[in-house]
Amino acid sequence: MSAQATAIPFTRDRNLVGIALFIGSESLFFLAIVIAFVVFREQGLATAKAQLDIGRTALFSLLLFASSGTMGLASARRSRPWLGLTALLGVTFLAGQGLEYARLLGAGLRPGSELFGTTFFTLTGLHAVHVLVGLVLLATLFAASSARPRRVGPSAWEGIALYWHFVDAVWVVVFSVVYVGTVLG
Amino acid sequence: MASSLEPIVVLSLIVGAIAAVIFAGVLVALVVFTVRYRDVPTASAPQIHGHRALEIAWTSVPLVLLAIIFGLSLVTLGQIGQGATFGSLEPPLRVDVIGHQWWFEFRYAGGAVTANELHIPIGVPIELDLGSADVIHDLWVPELGAKSDVVPGQRNVMRLFTAHAGTFSGECAEFCGLEHAWMRVRVVAEPRADFDRWLAAQSAPASGAAGRGLEVVRSAVCSSCHVVQGQVAGTSIGPDLTHVGSRTTIAGGVLANTADALRAWIGDPQLFKPGAMMPKVPLSSADLDAVVAYLESLK
Amino acid sequence: MTATALVRRPGAFATAGVLRTVDHKDIGIMYVLLGIAFLAIGGLEALLLRLQLATPGEHVLDPSTYDQIFTMHGITMIFLVAIPMLVGFANYVVPLQIGAEDVAFPRLNALSFWLTLFGGVLLYLSFVAGGAPDAGWFAYAPLTEPAHAVGTGMDWYIFGLAVSGAGSIIGAINLAVTILLMRCPGMVMGRAPMFTWMVLITSVLIIAAYPMLTSALVMLLVDRQLGGRFFDPAGGGNATLWQHLFWSFGHPEVYIVVLPAFGMISEVIPVFSGKPLFGYRFVAASGIAIGFLSFGVWAHHMFAVGLGDAENAFFSATSMLIAVPTGVKVFNWLATMWRGRIRLAMPMVFAIGFIATFVIGGLTGVSLAVVPIDLYTTDSYYVVGHLHYVLFGGTMMAVFAGLYYWFPKVTGRLLGHGLGLVHFWLTLVGLTLAFLPMHLLGIEGMPRRVWTYPPGMGWDVPNLVSTIGSFLIAAGAIALAVNVWRSLRTGERAGDDPWDAFTLEWSTPSPPPSSNFDGLPRVRGKRPLWDRKHPDRMDPE
Repeated sequence: MSAQATAIPFTRDRNLVGIALFIGSESLFFLAIVIAFVVFREQGLATAKAQLDIGRTALFSLLLFASSGTMGLASARRSRPWLGLTALLGVTFLAGQGLEYARLLGAGLRPGSELFGTTFFTLTGLHAVHVLVGLVLLATLFAASSARPRRVGPSAWEGIALYWHFVDAVWVVVFSVVYVGTVLG
Repeated sequence: MASSLEPIVVLSLIVGAIAAVIFAGVLVALVVFTVRYRDVPTASAPQIHGHRALEIAWTSVPLVLLAIIFGLSLVTLGQIGQGATFGSLEPPLRVDVIGHQWWFEFRYAGGAVTANELHIPIGVPIELDLGSADVIHDLWVPELGAKSDVVPGQRNVMRLFTAHAGTFSGECAEFCGLEHAWMRVRVVAEPRADFDRWLAAQSAPASGAAGRGLEVVRSAVCSSCHVVQGQVAGTSIGPDLTHVGSRTTIAGGVLANTADALRAWIGDPQLFKPGAMMPKVPLSSADLDAVVAYLESLK
Repeated sequence: MTATALVRRPGAFATAGVLRTVDHKDIGIMYVLLGIAFLAIGGLEALLLRLQLATPGEHVLDPSTYDQIFTMHGITMIFLVAIPMLVGFANYVVPLQIGAEDVAFPRLNALSFWLTLFGGVLLYLSFVAGGAPDAGWFAYAPLTEPAHAVGTGMDWYIFGLAVSGAGSIIGAINLAVTILLMRCPGMVMGRAPMFTWMVLITSVLIIAAYPMLTSALVMLLVDRQLGGRFFDPAGGGNATLWQHLFWSFGHPEVYIVVLPAFGMISEVIPVFSGKPLFGYRFVAASGIAIGFLSFGVWAHHMFAVGLGDAENAFFSATSMLIAVPTGVKVFNWLATMWRGRIRLAMPMVFAIGFIATFVIGGLTGVSLAVVPIDLYTTDSYYVVGHLHYVLFGGTMMAVFAGLYYWFPKVTGRLLGHGLGLVHFWLTLVGLTLAFLPMHLLGIEGMPRRVWTYPPGMGWDVPNLVSTIGSFLIAAGAIALAVNVWRSLRTGERAGDDPWDAFTLEWSTPSPPPSSNFDGLPRVRGKRPLWDRKHPDRMDPE
């Protein structure tokens, strides 16, 4: 993609359209996992109420949601500092997830211990894997834009930002279904 | 109504006739166009791009046909569904069905338990209450019509009916592992009086000949999977043997229930039904004879 | 390395060139060759199954081997034959049809191919790693749960399908973006060739359906490797959840492997009838309708599961509805032939054969959408007959039509007509003998997926006939192989446009140069080559 391509609208940029289609496919993947969680929600509700740390996870979730904002700024300004902050927020969120996992595992919850363990670890684990992939992309973009900024096309910034927003949006759904749903149910 | 198959046959004939007409029409058009227009002079083909009225016609005519078929199918579904009485005033006879790898267990209200052989009275709707002990199976007796999956963790209900006496062959229709092929059943439909006599006999405790055979069945591994009500207090993992001598086949239809076949089967089940859950039990020839004689006496 | 070199010098495959190529034509050829290789394997598996079932009580295969082979036959034919063949044709033909230099992402294209191949290799490694998957291609839980499937076969199934599925998703995104953004000037979507249209719809279906399969595979993996309970009723899980997830992928999958076939037929019939495709808009729109509806019909595979009468009635209605747009296509193909100038070259012969056999599969499909009829026929050999009429009588017949049609473009040489007719008749008679009696077997009560059956059920003769038919199909495949081999050595030169065709791929040399076109004809209608050859009778714009 050459530098003149900056003027191409989103719908004519083949990289962005490709990434959008990929995100559409991924959304359906998560939809199926979320449906499985909802199917078994009743059986796991008691454990969920007893075990989940909703307050702390909400706090870490806010950091992830904030990272969408910083990513937007990073992409709009082609800014490496904002990119770094985004990655930092992502890492902090993952650390929060790590703490939650450590606590739940310490309390004896396993993917195989009961249905809630199965659905909880599958859904949140798959999301965490996607955050991790996002962090690798952010790191790659950071490195590439440091070493050869001219070789990094606009669709690299916008495409990775799109993916990062998607990972955040998935967490909005997962957090709502797993945590908010538990409080309300 | 002659049987629960009848409404399905009627509907199938109607749908089949419609399908046959459509297929014949397509085939005729295909052949006629191919023959008629083959290698006609160049440039004679008019460049026709389409025809709106035709498109509407061949969209709406099939739509109407399908709507008719759908309506008819709802009627048939009502006739064979859970509430169906098949025109009989008698209350349905309920039988519990449990699918196992690879045999069917039938439990009657009075305590009678059989394997792979379902007896039913004629002229009465049969309500089968289906459950599974392991994986998904499916009970199908083609001559009695519909089938139903047998799903673990779920109760399914299916109604069957026949007005005529006879023996019908059936089977497991959902792939359930190695010996799915040898998970066959026989359904014996008989007049009410015969059925009642049969059920009374099957509900009674076993009265097999006491002796060496009974001792072996009690002491060898047999009782870790089989029960003979009143004589062998085993674990019911395999088929209940209380009246095994009265059945016509063994091992899910692999063999006819004769003394020779029974002896061969117990001698080495894997030879006839590779993968079957029943192991080869090392018995002396004399003990084997005694066990066969005992089982044969369980009428 | 060009496509020509790959075809002319099979030895080129030994060089590093094939590992590095990103040319869509090379990748397309590699996909088709991959499909052909697995077709041979899947076909041999089918012959083994038919030998075992030729007579009651056969012992060609033991039950364990039989289960592995019928499972691998299904997986192979769907994921490693139908998909690669169709994706291969799409890869080769679509950029040429829309006047593009290549696909949107050439390197991703190569990645898709290698993922598909790697997935296939993973699936087949299972045979030497303790046993292939043996629970059928739709692998119903809980038979696949660790308690019932103790070997590693199901794990190979999970990884093999996930990897080849990833290849399919990436490939589909690539084709969709190519069609959406890389059409040459003048080639608006309303003028795009019908094959291109159907590939676009198929790509969207793959993008939307495959993630459902991947999600089910991930859940099964959690159950098998981490002790999860998704599909384990004994642990509170739900056995039918797998079926819902699988078929919400599996039924769109049927249309994924049949829509491109419709596209091929929609190219061949107009060219060999000397007329434009009748009702272009309706043929395209019916494809879109099929695409949408295909996501609302999955539970017609589950009428006997016990979902309830209302649910069954809903899925029955949607499944019947999908017959309407399918019928629209058939009627439009017939109308295209009407008053045309029919040339019975091999592509057209196979296209006509396709219509005759596919209509049978379509009509039996309607019967299976009728709940009471399905409650009798489902899980019986009737279904096996139906699905082979759709996938072999439909997809494979169309692939053969496409092969005879585009082979000259790819290789520069025509396939022989005489051997082509031998191939056609052996295939048509073979498939009729092999698959028509299966319907009878189902009606007579033979369940599917049995490794053997008792005598005296009236099943002996139809089974024997079916086995004979399967060997005729194999003989037909050998005739095709000989035809290809002879054509590559001594075949008649094709020239740019051997069929007097309409679309852009025929305006460039056979085989095309690596950049595809030296100069494009003006695209002002649906048939740019017709317009160029008949300036006096040009299509309306």
